Parts: sequence; structure tokens; C-alpha cells
Amino acid sequence: MKSLLLGSSLLIASSPVFAGLRIVTTTEDLAALAREVGGKHVKVESIAKGYQDPHFVDAKPSYLLKLKRADLFIQVGLELESSWAPNLLRSARNKKIRPGARGFLDASSGCDVLDKNADADRSQGDVHPEGNPHYWLDPANGRIIAKNIAGRLSELDPDHTQDYKANLAAFEVSLKEKIAGWDKLAQAFKGSKVVTYHNSWPNFAKRFHLNVIDFVEPKPGIPASPSHIKALLERIRREKITLIFMEPYFDEKLPKKIASDTGANLLILPPSVGAAKGIKTYSDLFDHNLNLLSDALGKKQ
Amino acid sequence: MRRIFASIIILSVFSAASFAQETDLGSAIRKSKNKFNPEVSVIGWLQAETGRRNPASVASEEPVFHFKEAELSLQSNVDAYGRAEFFIGFDGEEGVELEEGYFDFTSLPYNLGLKAGKFRNNFGKFNRTHVPETSFADRPLVHEQFFGDEGLSAPGVSLSWQIPNPWLFAEITTEVVNNPDADEVPAFGKARKRELLYVNRLSGYHDITEALNITLGGSYANGAAGQELIAVPVSSRTLKSELAGFDLTLRWKDPRKANYRSALWQTEALWSKRDAENESHIGSWGMFSHLQYQFARRWKTGFRYDYTQLPTDGTMHEAGGLAYLTFMPSEFSLISLQGRRARRFDQKKETLGWLKVTFNIGPHGSHPF
Repeated sequence: MKSLLLGSSLLIASSPVFAGLRIVTTTEDLAALAREVGGKHVKVESIAKGYQDPHFVDAKPSYLLKLKRADLFIQVGLELESSWAPNLLRSARNKKIRPGARGFLDASSGCDVLDKNADADRSQGDVHPEGNPHYWLDPANGRIIAKNIAGRLSELDPDHTQDYKANLAAFEVSLKEKIAGWDKLAQAFKGSKVVTYHNSWPNFAKRFHLNVIDFVEPKPGIPASPSHIKALLERIRREKITLIFMEPYFDEKLPKKIASDTGANLLILPPSVGAAKGIKTYSDLFDHNLNLLSDALGKKQ
Repeated sequence: MRRIFASIIILSVFSAASFAQETDLGSAIRKSKNKFNPEVSVIGWLQAETGRRNPASVASEEPVFHFKEAELSLQSNVDAYGRAEFFIGFDGEEGVELEEGYFDFTSLPYNLGLKAGKFRNNFGKFNRTHVPETSFADRPLVHEQFFGDEGLSAPGVSLSWQIPNPWLFAEITTEVVNNPDADEVPAFGKARKRELLYVNRLSGYHDITEALNITLGGSYANGAAGQELIAVPVSSRTLKSELAGFDLTLRWKDPRKANYRSALWQTEALWSKRDAENESHIGSWGMFSHLQYQFARRWKTGFRYDYTQLPTDGTMHEAGGLAYLTFMPSEFSLISLQGRRARRFDQKKETLGWLKVTFNIGPHGSHPF
């Protein structure tokens, strides 16, 4: 046993050494923000890819290889990852990143979280009693997440606190400028009524003054019934909705049919960094989506 | 009058505020107390069966509707060193059974893990899945013949080591548990109370592509299989049973459309060598191969091929196939239509059909991948 342990240690020792903090995040959005504030002192990997539905990720053993070596684990929280992250954290045998340890960070702390519903139960579909977990889609929350990460990095790596503070400050300045630009773009479609596939966009809609009047899913995670589709078609026609948007990981067949029956446009709107080509940073995500919305809604209304 | 009215309003506001404060405080205390309660979940499993069972088969004839089990699970951290998990099966006909109940030491160094209690043994991959949560209404014939209706599980300890390396996930497990009774687990059978069963497993997992992955495992178990009485001189000797197993699981799921399409191919085989009377040995083997395809968000279909010899008689064998179509209204419930045709060890044919319905309440966590 001893020689096996020694052999394995040698194997690990022979792999490339990284002296900084290893961060594993559940989503690409958190990874992008961690890179912004961590800079050269961190190596960041995400478990779910941006084009993946973060509610449903297989808890593959290969993720354990990343989690074993992690110094910091960051999750979206609000039960977004509850079907897979707790099992991975338990199996990783890394005390540093267990819930409650300093290497575990729930990024939602201090964020503006919407749709809290203490009375939620499963008859309402895949609801989240502690609030809608898609809160990163408000850039004001992005700032808070970045601040949370910078704070935790400073605790874990106090020698580089000044760098993390400086990175955070630079990110905040850049984000502030960006937000001003996005708000300006959003003025063109302020108050527009839209339909979305899943209830992933309340923070985004609140921030950019979109009015989400209905969903393709009758309840979160529940496929549409014929009666729901009929009522939705009538509502889209009655309220002259011109845009339906959806995440890339859902099936387009039904939204396409609804769009073609009502004359509305269907837009695939990436909800995460990495969900579409060219979206590499947190700011890229909003640049991409607001330009798409501006093209689809701004010129028509 | 106005003053009295104003006083009443002020008093009402203050008392409402203090009540609200008390309520908030009470609720916070309750919430904080509840934090220490374990997570509680229940899986219900109703099954309807049609067809006629072979009277000589292991499982007995069942009524049309059978509430097979309500599986209660309780899971919580015990302290800073570990976590406890309990799975209790309530069967309408056979009573209550502790299926699993163990303390999992989660804070050991060197990638080690230790479990102590009663648990499903780490022999192959299928054996570790709780019965209501498998894709099937039955169990593969090889499992039925070698491990009985409930699978291989016994009280003892389990030590595992995740082999640290940057390339693939690999784990070695060694378990020492009580040797089970032959009427529960036909592959073994204790003759004396203090006999032990040793179960070892080496498994590896690798992502071939982002969508395709493979799990390979090898298992070995040895324990007692009854005893032989020797007339002259009067004595007895414990008969030994050895099992070697191999399992292969290939999974495919495109992460871009993970909710809609997936496929799984799982094959497990085992070989048995057991002592028989007069210094002889019995060799036997069995296998199953299961292919499952999810063709829509809520639908999957699958087929399983079974072949097995009997652990106590390698010259007799059974073979069959199971096909199913499953509808999953959500990830917490399913309705499955299944049919199995098998030729049992007496070479008589048996055709059975099932309707399996399972439903899950509570936050019962995900199982090992």
C-alpha cells in the first residue's frame, strides 16, 4: 500500500506544477468572473459548459479529478446544481472545498435574487424555493459575484490581496462602462413584451426592462400540453408578441412551430458564457445578447 | 375618541410588529433546528404483473398488483468526520428491512474512504443500484440466481482508495462483511455465524469524448458456501465459493441536448467456482447485457439479454430477454411497460409482463454515476 501511495505521489509530482489557486466552478459564468478577479494567480475550470443545461449535469467521475485538486469551489447555489454538485463534492474527498469550508463559495450571497417562494413545492414544476438561480444574468449581480470571489481569494491567498483588489476594481470600472452602453441599447426595446421558453430570464428582463408575459413551458421543467400551447398561441396573437426567445439546450421544434404559427421571431439567446461562439467573457455574454435583442426588437418597435 | 382610536392603531401596529418579530425569530429558530434534521425521501414502487411464473423459478407467484416497496432514505452529516445514510425498505408483504445503513468517514487522508455499517457490496456496477431505481421491473437472471431478489448486501466495513493520477478516475475497494445466508444470496451461504465474505473491486472511468465515456471494472469475492459433513472421522469442512466479475458501461449523451437523447450499454459477467462435496468443484457463469436509448425528453426504451448457469449446478442454465418502454413525467416519477421471456433452468418457458410505477418525494440525492 505504501509503495502504491508513493508511486501515485510521484505520478502527481511529475505532472505540471501550478503554484496559484485552483478554482473549479459549476458554470462558465462563474469561471469567467473568477478569471477576471483572479488573474494570473488562479487556474479556473468549469464543470458545466455554457451550452449545457446547468440543472442537469451528469456527476461524472472525471470531474472528481478536477475537484480533488481544487482550492476553491464556486457554485451558483439556490439549488441550481442540487442534483449533481453535492454528490461530486462528497465523492471528491477534498475537505478544503466542502460546504462550510473556506474553499466553498456560494456566489449568490448578497445578489438580487428574484422569485423567492417559500411555499414552493414540486407541483409547481422545477421551482427553486430560495429564488430563481439565473441571477447572474443581471450585470449588477455579476459585480457582486466578482466581489464575493475577490473576497474569498484574498482569504485563501492573502499574499495577493492587493492584486485581487486591483483586478476587481478594474473589472468594476469596465463593467460600469459596459452597463451604461447596454442600458442605452436596451432603451430601444424598453417595455417590449416577449415569451421565453423557460423562466431563466427574470433578472435579465428586470435589468433591461423586458416584459416576459408567458413561457413555452407551462411550469418550469414541464413540457407544454396541447391546452397550454393553444392558450399561448392565442395570447401571442392577442398581445401581438413579436419575439420568443430560448436557451440553446432546449429543443427548438415547438418554439419554432409557435413562432411560425403566430408570425413571431424565434431567437436563441445564450444564457451563459461559452454557450455560443465568441462569448468568452462575462461582458461578451451581454454584448452578444443585447445586440441580438436590439436587432430583433429595437428596429421593429 | 380620536385619541383612543389612534392608541388602538399604534398598539395594533406595535403588537403586529412584535408578533412579526417573534414569528420571524421563531421561524429562524425552527429553520436552524431543522438544519440538523436529516434529508428525508421516499420512493414508492407499485408493480402489476401478468403471465404465469414457472413454479420452479426462484421468485414466487405474485398477485396482479404488488406494492413492491416504499424505500425511505435518511441522509445527513453526523459530525465533522462523516455522514450517515439509511435506506429502509417497507414491503407490504415482507415487512420492514434495513437495506443500507452506514457511516461514511469522509475526512480520511490520502484519498481514502471508509464505510461501516450495512451496505450494498461493491461487486459489479448493477449491484449497487437500489432495486426501485434500476431500469427494470425484475432483476437480471444472473443476479437473481447468484445474489437473490435483493442483491448482495451485508454488514461490515468497506475501505476504498481513489488512485491519484491526472489521467483517469480509478478506485480500488476492499470490503469485509458477514457471509450472507444461502437463501438470501445463493452464490454464498454461511455455515457458521462468524464467517466472513471478502469483496474487492478495481474500477476505472474515462471520458472518450465529451459525449462518450466508459467505465470498466473487475470484481472478486470469496466466502463460504455451506459446509460438508464428513462421516469418518466425524467432522465438517467449510466449502468455499469464489466469484470473479467483469463490467463494462458505455454512456453517450450530447451535453448540448442532454435532456433529449442519451444511450447506455452495460454488460456484466461473472464466473463462479465453488467447492462441492468430496473435494469436487462446481464452475458456472452468467451475464447480462443491457442497451438503453432515450429518444425523447420523457421517453426511453431498452432491451436486456440474460444468460446464467446456476451457482450450484453449472450444467443447468437459464436465458431470456427483457424489453421495456418507459415514460418519465418528470425526473421524480416513471411509468414503465416491460415484458420478459425466459427459458428457466428446467427448460420451461416463462413469459411475464409488468407495469412498473415509481414515484419519489423529498430531496433523495443522486446516486453514484
